[in-house]
Amino acid sequence: MPLLGLQTPTIRHYVALFTDPSFATSFLLTLYLAATSTMLAMILAVAAAMLLRRAFLGSRIVTVIFQLPLPVPHLVAAAGMVLLLTQSGLFARILYGTGLLERPNQFPVLVFDRWQIATILVYLWKEVPFIGLVVLAILNSIGQEYEEIAQTLGANRWQRFRYVLLPLITPGLVTTGIIVFAFVFGSFEIPLLLGQRYPNVLPVTAYRAYVDPDLQQRPVAMAIGVVITAMVMLLLSLPLRYSRHIGKRK
Amino acid sequence: MMRRILRLVACALIISGVLLPLIPQMVWSFATNWFFPALLPPQWGFKAWRYVLSPSSQVGEALWNSIGVAVLVVLLAVVIGLPAARVLGLQQFRGKQMVTWLLTAPLFVPTIVVIMGIHIVFIRYGLADTFLGVVFVHLIPALPYFILLMSSVFANYAIEFEETARTLGASAMRTFWHVTLPAIWPGLTVAMLFTFLVSWSQYITTVLIGGGRVVTLPMVLFPLISAANHTNAAAVSLVFILPAILILILTSHALDSNASAIGGLGRL
Amino acid sequence: MTTVQVQALSKRYNAITAVKGLELTVKSGELVALLGPSGCGKTTTMRMIAGLLPPTTGDILFDGRSVLAIPAERRGAVMVFQKHLLFPHMNVAENVGFGLKMRGLAKAEIARRVHAMLELVQLTGFEQRRAQALSGGQQQRVALARALVIEPQVLLLDEPLANLDANLRLEMRWLIRTIQKALGITTIFVTHDQEEAVMLADRVALLVDGTLQQFDEPRAFYERPRSTTVARFFRNENFLAGIKRGNQVQTEVGTLTVECGDELADGAVFLTMRPEHVLINSPQTTNVLAATVDTVLYMGSYLQVQIQIGTVRWVINTAANADVQPGCPIRIQLPPSQLWLVPADG
Repeated sequence: MPLLGLQTPTIRHYVALFTDPSFATSFLLTLYLAATSTMLAMILAVAAAMLLRRAFLGSRIVTVIFQLPLPVPHLVAAAGMVLLLTQSGLFARILYGTGLLERPNQFPVLVFDRWQIATILVYLWKEVPFIGLVVLAILNSIGQEYEEIAQTLGANRWQRFRYVLLPLITPGLVTTGIIVFAFVFGSFEIPLLLGQRYPNVLPVTAYRAYVDPDLQQRPVAMAIGVVITAMVMLLLSLPLRYSRHIGKRK
Repeated sequence: MMRRILRLVACALIISGVLLPLIPQMVWSFATNWFFPALLPPQWGFKAWRYVLSPSSQVGEALWNSIGVAVLVVLLAVVIGLPAARVLGLQQFRGKQMVTWLLTAPLFVPTIVVIMGIHIVFIRYGLADTFLGVVFVHLIPALPYFILLMSSVFANYAIEFEETARTLGASAMRTFWHVTLPAIWPGLTVAMLFTFLVSWSQYITTVLIGGGRVVTLPMVLFPLISAANHTNAAAVSLVFILPAILILILTSHALDSNASAIGGLGRL
Repeated sequence: MTTVQVQALSKRYNAITAVKGLELTVKSGELVALLGPSGCGKTTTMRMIAGLLPPTTGDILFDGRSVLAIPAERRGAVMVFQKHLLFPHMNVAENVGFGLKMRGLAKAEIARRVHAMLELVQLTGFEQRRAQALSGGQQQRVALARALVIEPQVLLLDEPLANLDANLRLEMRWLIRTIQKALGITTIFVTHDQEEAVMLADRVALLVDGTLQQFDEPRAFYERPRSTTVARFFRNENFLAGIKRGNQVQTEVGTLTVECGDELADGAVFLTMRPEHVLINSPQTTNVLAATVDTVLYMGSYLQVQIQIGTVRWVINTAANADVQPGCPIRIQLPPSQLWLVPADG
């Protein structure tokens, strides 16, 4: 746990923090980043898991490729995104080649931008296989018998997914989603690398305050750190409460 | 018919989505002067690789440091983590939920936050700017990760095997070596490999605690990306990614059968 | 009410043929039992009828019209499995009402029908319970209710009672029989237990190794089995080889008179008689044979006597207080009216 080792504990910094509008911006940006990444990742992961659960020609290869991002460090993914998404990057060049683009700066700004688009894509690249594997494991343990029963009872494909499968995978999915959200909320390196200098997410703001030559900024950094930690802790207590809630309903 | 087309499209999307950030990097590392709007490098060359191999890039030094730190982290994780995981996986005791939660918390408390607090401690104990210090700081996220994975392996493990061995006269040491170890070996390899990866990918922890004295691969890569030095970044990326790919190949079949480990994470 | 016709139905998995050229017609409102040992293709056949598995060759018709092109969700053939497979995230009412909900019925209407159905299976008041909180028998009754409430064309029951203990099974058989008769739904019931088949079914279809052996009313399997395979399945191992000439059969232990077998050609046959029909120390003089008693087993309500006739062994079930001793000679009588003939290669 972070130690406020420099001076006697005071809430002076927290007050200053909460009244600073740039803190609010940073906080909201962090929330936006975590929420968007997690939501999109969950949807894509479920889609991928539904695709890969039954064997078909080539499914084995696709599943292996699907798992490829898991051991790849985030930085490598970030490097790749830069190559693809900058205004002089590969996608821009493809568009130029097809005549849809005339100059590099017509390509939208996706990297080093305010909306952290490249950052989100990096997290999607890493998290979709992670959540996808968890959902796949759940789907395998469910088996297909429930769907068969639903089928003979008249449920079509969408109904079987919505009323039978989805409720059964939701607990595991939500838990994993919360983990991913907490992780992205507290993550630092990729937003630092691929985002703007200012505004950026909370962990980056904290870091800048920490390494600021003005030592007065250190406690501010600590304060931000505590806020981040509190948020993450709060999020992580949710699965506990959620699973107890599910348990009670039974 | 429609299904098959949709399926094909989905597979294509997955394959391209996964490979797109990777393949261009590989190509780029062999390119020279590959600028907009060329779709393929006008010139091929080894400029980036010459850079990588030269001592001034620090890539060689970083590679050794990264490997060294990661290996030590894994060893320490096994020595410290295995007994803890065993207790967690096999035994029930009061406050187990609490302990589990405490143990896994470091996994999710953002490392940046932990570092800011721990930095002072490391300085005080002379661990800052040292190799050992970096190893210890990597243990903070790595150890809980290892314990979590191994405790789910132990949860599926039947202690009756050991009891049988003991009643047949085997000592604790021999029981461990001949009975326990082979039984947990598949899960153990997966856990060790992923713990390796945790240490391998650490950036800011190494920067802050290592103080720039301990140089690892991510530290070389980061500024290259930041400066948009595409060719060199691509080359270093490839060096950086190699162990990761090796690991995936080694564990991919174990991953299928050890979906319980991943599933265990989902049951958190 | 629907008739179900199965024509030349086959299912092949690479080298293995699970079902071979099955021909079956189930009349409207009838309960047919698909009987056979494990792995004989019964469940495969059911799944094909339900639409969960496409056949390799052959056709399936409901009311004279082929349903092969109709997907399972629209066929109107509902399955109840051995595992109850109640949706774990729903309570009893939601489970039972599932099919109705899929059809888009109004909530009030669903509630009304669910209530009526729960009454029928004697589970009134269980609406809010969760599947896990029910006993095995209750779970199967909910599964049954879930299938019946949508008024299916065909009801397919795949060994639904196999997981229940013996007493419960008897109860449930009664329940299924009563409800089926009351609702008049064409039903196919898979089981490996011949007692169950005989008790429940209007007609029984015996499948062994994917082939239909006999399709008849239950009584016929006991009194008029078509082959040694069929007889054996119904626990009759009493066979005696002989040569048939008219209504006389020459065997190694003598010539016996039979009253049946007009449709069988003269030549090699097997005589067979059920263990419970062979008489000991009978005053009749037709078809009397000498035999030796091997063993005598006390079975509680009867005695099982293993005897040696010539070179073959037969089993007789006789009264529990009969005077029979192991090792002693014995005179058995085979009443002609209950002596039956099966083909020699059967």
